[in-house]
Amino acid sequence: MTATEKPSAKYKYIGTRPVRHDGLDKVIGKARFAADLDLTGQLRGVMVRSPHAHAKILSIDTSTAEAMPGVKAVVTGADFPVIDPTDSTHDEAINNIARDEVLYNGHTVAAVAATTIAEARAAAAAVKVEYEVLPAVLSIDESLADGAPIANSTNRTLFTRDTEPSNIASVGPFQRGDVEAGFAAADVVVERTFTTKAVHQGYIEPHACVADVGQDGKATIWASSQGHFAVRSKTAAILGWGTDKIKVTPAEIGGGFGGKTTIYLEPIAVLLSQKAARPVKIVMTREEVLRATGPAPASKIHIKMGATNEGELTTIQGTLHYSNGSAKGYAALTGAMSIASYRFPNLDLMAIGTVDNTPKSAAYRAPSAPQAAFAIETLIDEIANELDMDPIDLRLKNAVVEGDPTAMGAPHPKIGFVETLQAIKDSEHYNSPVPDGVGRGFGTGFWFNIGEQSSATVNLNEDGTATVITGSPDIGGSRASMALMAAEELGLDVHSITPIVADTESVGFTDITEGSRATFATGMAVVNACRELIEQMTQRAAVMRGVDVDQVAWIDGAAIIEGPPSEGAEPLTIKEITGAAKMTGGPLTATASLNAAGAGPSFAAHLADVKVDEETGEVTILRYTAAQDAGTAIHPSYVEGQMQGGSAQGIGWALNEEYIYSGDGVMQNAGFLDYRMPVASDLPMIETIIVEVPNPSHPYGVRGVGETGIVPPIGTLANAIAAATGVRMSELPMSPPNVLKALNEK
Amino acid sequence: MATVHLQANHAAYTDGARKLEVHGATVGAVVDELAARFAGLGPLLREGSSVAIDGELQPKGTIYAAVAPDAEIHFLAPISGG
Repeated sequence: MTATEKPSAKYKYIGTRPVRHDGLDKVIGKARFAADLDLTGQLRGVMVRSPHAHAKILSIDTSTAEAMPGVKAVVTGADFPVIDPTDSTHDEAINNIARDEVLYNGHTVAAVAATTIAEARAAAAAVKVEYEVLPAVLSIDESLADGAPIANSTNRTLFTRDTEPSNIASVGPFQRGDVEAGFAAADVVVERTFTTKAVHQGYIEPHACVADVGQDGKATIWASSQGHFAVRSKTAAILGWGTDKIKVTPAEIGGGFGGKTTIYLEPIAVLLSQKAARPVKIVMTREEVLRATGPAPASKIHIKMGATNEGELTTIQGTLHYSNGSAKGYAALTGAMSIASYRFPNLDLMAIGTVDNTPKSAAYRAPSAPQAAFAIETLIDEIANELDMDPIDLRLKNAVVEGDPTAMGAPHPKIGFVETLQAIKDSEHYNSPVPDGVGRGFGTGFWFNIGEQSSATVNLNEDGTATVITGSPDIGGSRASMALMAAEELGLDVHSITPIVADTESVGFTDITEGSRATFATGMAVVNACRELIEQMTQRAAVMRGVDVDQVAWIDGAAIIEGPPSEGAEPLTIKEITGAAKMTGGPLTATASLNAAGAGPSFAAHLADVKVDEETGEVTILRYTAAQDAGTAIHPSYVEGQMQGGSAQGIGWALNEEYIYSGDGVMQNAGFLDYRMPVASDLPMIETIIVEVPNPSHPYGVRGVGETGIVPPIGTLANAIAAATGVRMSELPMSPPNVLKALNEK
Repeated sequence: MATVHLQANHAAYTDGARKLEVHGATVGAVVDELAARFAGLGPLLREGSSVAIDGELQPKGTIYAAVAPDAEIHFLAPISGG
């Protein structure tokens, strides 16, 4: 790992690497995840899941199950309110529990709560569901085939005036310039079709929750999620309840990566608890996670690209198909919009999202961008080869800078793509000789990042310590980042600050931790609350020293009295001010809320050395370096962790991971033995280079860093394999059988 | 007047126009004017779009965000993250 130059001269705390506040509890096993919680009288809930990929539910007979030992409650889709298909809640509600139509193998159709997990499982097996099996479509090609069966009878194509059921989720053309003129101006034209399979986010902790409906009719939920306010609002919408009837306490989260921005269990657990008048815990098995929670979409992308002999990209044209699984969504649109790293003066992209009978897809780090980057970075690498240009020089020649348009036309704000490319070009790795028999590949990635709503309360305690309370679940070290920003503002040691993630009734509304927004947006709320506290402390200091507030300046964590009559008076520390608070107006506390604009996009560039066993097709990564623009790295270790985690997940996506279905839509590899994610022994140490081009829309220049790291690895490794073997891979995963097949066809 | 840039799928509602001059001091006012001029476009912009003002991505649903007379407004497909 490459250490950064921090701490900088600019900041005292930001850029340092303190031990995270929640680290010890997690290391010693004391941290409480949702599955760790047990309440008195608690029941265990188990889902009844469809054995068919597509079917009509004719009847559900729960009578046998209800009479079984230990069974206290059974629910079916009929227990939930009917939601109109045009309502934005509809698809998530139906995905939680089917009403009339099951849309994929593993779709929940009923649930049972019983005294023990064994009793609940036995009763779930006794629920009798009569199905009329319908024809299923399991891929993009099957969805689009002439005469294809409709995969979801409630789907209508988004953003159109279509009123008939369709297997098209959304359509979005993106155009500028004149692509034909662009091809006419090109000396080199390359094109390929790329296919990728659905892959899972692979979080270690399965979905879990505990729900307890009290005698007052109010539900308390403990859940693993990326946003407990969203758990509250989604659960309320699906149940038809008011949000005042639901309190959600965030449990620690064992990985989310986008997959826990949606819910699968909570409304069902609440209804079971209400029926049984007992708390209900539901914990998915790994098989359930893989069969029934959102993977990242499969894709089929055809791109044609042109460039001049001088290496100027002239045009891009293509069609991007993404499967949304069983529900409507924006996956294809997002994929097309993520093509934002290069100045294509002429562009014509058609994004088409499809619907099929596989699980409803969910966000996964920089959703849809890795698939598109696989295509773009492969073709740019081919152009570099054809022109005999350095692959980074070709990208530098075409790299977007502030003001250049994205695929949808909006100009980029201040960005650091050129600096990120240059960081790899200057790296020791890039400048080291390529060993014999090794292929070196390069690729890049982009993600927008978002702002959205956040709240924070900062309390100063009577001894001068502080508590920072936010509503952003800590999925990547954000507690430490919040504490560091508060430390910088207040001038307090970071370990005098306790960062807390509070429940939905103890802090202001906060959107989901997604889109790399927590350190950016929630961090700004923390900064604003701290600045309000500094205002309060200067007023209290003025009272204590008997001066006008204008004579008090806040410098390096203390109130300094400037000018007469108290010139020369000793500074007042936070401890002295908080210690005297009851005499100067009471406790010192401040709250800030915002809806943040100006999230800074982040770019990444990766470099990999690989060796390919031409007898087995196995790809071994010998060295891997990731550079990424973090704006300002608040806690460099967690920035590096995000870069390494994103890289590892992208490497898994590239080399091994895939959903494998039987002809009747049953996932064949629903376990970690067969769904092959990379483990530590599969990877070299991911070397990191943090690039810092500050985001002008954040007080400390923060850009989100969680998303972008997963975008470059697929293209990077495909290019490295091409360099090693001369074979261009255009189908994922680049697993031993697929690589061997491609080598044999060379 | 602000300049509004629409995506190609919006153009189905605007007789093909993708660049429009629109009065409005806020995003909401701009959307209201576009909705009044082009039937069916309003819901698409209100519920199915992210908005960038002069290249700065706005939070979802911020209809009160100020629009300067010379602002460049882009309506984009929804953007979130993982």
